[in-house]
Amino acid sequence: MKEFQETLYDAISQNFRIDKMYFEQKTGHQHLMIFHNAVLGRVMTLDGVVQTTELDEFIYHEMMAHVPIFAHGNARRVLIIGGGDGGMLREVLRHSEVEHVTMVEIDAAVIDMAKKYLPNHSAGAFDDERAQIVIADGMNYVRETEDRFDVIISDSTDPIGPGEVLFTNDFYAQCKRILNEGGVMAAQNGVPFFQIDEVKNTRLRMSAHFSDQTFYSAAVPTYYGGIMTFAWGTDNAALRGTAIDELRARYQNAGFRTRYYSPEIHIASFALPQYVQDAI
Amino acid sequence: MKTRHIQYGASEAERDYYRSLVKQHGSPLLVVNRSKILQQYNTLKSYLPGVAFYYAIKAFPHPEVLHLLAEAGCHFDVASEGEIDLLKQLQVSGRRTIHTHPIKKDSHIRAALRGGSTTFVVDNIDELKKLIPYRSRTGVLLRVSFRSESATVDLSRKFGCAPGQVLELATEAQSLGVHIRGLSFHVGSQCANSDMHVSAINQCMQLIDECNQNKKNPMNMLDIGGGFPVNYVGDDIDLDTFFKPVGQALSQLSSDINIIAEPGRFLVAPAVTGIASVSGKARRGDYQWYYLDDGIYGSYSGQLFDHVIYPLQIFNTDETRTPSILAGPTCDSIDIIAEDVALPDMADGDLVIGHMMGAYTYATAATRFNSLAGANVIFVD
Repeated sequence: MKEFQETLYDAISQNFRIDKMYFEQKTGHQHLMIFHNAVLGRVMTLDGVVQTTELDEFIYHEMMAHVPIFAHGNARRVLIIGGGDGGMLREVLRHSEVEHVTMVEIDAAVIDMAKKYLPNHSAGAFDDERAQIVIADGMNYVRETEDRFDVIISDSTDPIGPGEVLFTNDFYAQCKRILNEGGVMAAQNGVPFFQIDEVKNTRLRMSAHFSDQTFYSAAVPTYYGGIMTFAWGTDNAALRGTAIDELRARYQNAGFRTRYYSPEIHIASFALPQYVQDAI
Repeated sequence: MKTRHIQYGASEAERDYYRSLVKQHGSPLLVVNRSKILQQYNTLKSYLPGVAFYYAIKAFPHPEVLHLLAEAGCHFDVASEGEIDLLKQLQVSGRRTIHTHPIKKDSHIRAALRGGSTTFVVDNIDELKKLIPYRSRTGVLLRVSFRSESATVDLSRKFGCAPGQVLELATEAQSLGVHIRGLSFHVGSQCANSDMHVSAINQCMQLIDECNQNKKNPMNMLDIGGGFPVNYVGDDIDLDTFFKPVGQALSQLSSDINIIAEPGRFLVAPAVTGIASVSGKARRGDYQWYYLDDGIYGSYSGQLFDHVIYPLQIFNTDETRTPSILAGPTCDSIDIIAEDVALPDMADGDLVIGHMMGAYTYATAATRFNSLAGANVIFVD
């Protein structure tokens, strides 16, 4: 029986049974797998770490896309850094008021592979006319682009590995540069119960560039270890306090249904456990 | 061990075997015997039951050897990104490795973590601090230095903290939030007896007990390194005599302690045979010179780096022997395999067999000096 054993932590790990291997790529420095698990559906792993599963991807993608977009209330232009599987693009494009999405993925092969083996993630989003796909290093893109955005979503890998630059001071500075006034960025920030240092580091680096910096959270079961945090950076301090009635109206107007996100969850997700508050 | 042993003559079957290999694969060759590697692995398992073995990839870093051992259930000791990549290619999980290089750049640590290797060896406070950014993900073995009088290669000079520093390092680690899993030691390579292993095991046990008295994270791992000897000719090592005291010492340990070892030489040395052939010869002064197609820059590099003099075999039994010199193929005058050996007359194409050539031969033969290709590595069962 084949098994995937996650290699994130020395002392603990989660194991998934591999029921069928769909895709496996092992170059010198990278080991990518997409396999089927009876409970989780299709699972994508990179270098021994779970990236996404069909069963719980909606929690991650809905929370990363809808919280900043509904909080903003008038997001026309959205930038996604990473997100090669297409799930984030799918959720962002559900907002009809979004006129343009630029998605910057470093590796074209990831998109091709995800279209083929994880088709439910993008669900046709790559064909949407509002989507522009740029194959480039995310860091270089934010450094060089003249485009401006209302919402930036950093859908990166773990900070150890290819996503490393997306957790740097410089990256946050450039994101701030290309945000329109009143814009907001949200960034994947790991599981604080086991990776509290990552919360501390992001706090330190991000708050140097944004007058309002905090985190919001959601539990994504296969990101093992309880809640995960999403970093929040903006100069518009009012955004995180967007009133429940306002959010309800925006959600209602948007006219689509979600499976995890709700205006109530939105508000609640900014309440952080004391151990996270203490760390920041 | 320092004297050259030469076996003159070979059975007809032996000759035919070596000649047919050369006919098929060319010369020079390194012939790896798969079943011998497994036999060595099983020997270790039977002498040291309950010990998990981490093959020291550096000894013979060939993918086929790793594959064979991985299939047999062996784990791996890695010390570089290149070694981690070798395992990735074979789809061996990083969870089956420990990273044993005590000195690392940050990029080395990150590469190891990306490879899923999360247990690191450290021997001083500066290296310990390098793990702080990764402390939630990693475990650490403290390398302690116990020097062996009988080791051919002393591995305790370059690395390892003094036993007296362990408690201090462990306390410091706890305050830094770095988890110390246990201790590791290497008394040396090719040890003639196991006295140092036994004494190091006993001392480590005391150190672990001492450290665990007031630690919230008890140590639970002891890595006894390698150094298990093989019989190059004249070493006369009796494995029973070597391993029994080690097994006894280990059996005294609490069952909470996971014991691991990092054999390299022991698994591969006897499993590999070198085949070289005479390329040409010359009479110079008092000596007959034979120039082979393999030498110090190739498979015989271990004579320089590993201080081993491999037992040789030639087929000719003629008892008229002249003082001769066996030289390697490069232009460098250091490239001499054997000085002043008595050899019968050999002709171009005659084979010279090198035995016990598994450990630190292929591994260190990677030079491209004179743009000579190294020996072709082939596998037999």
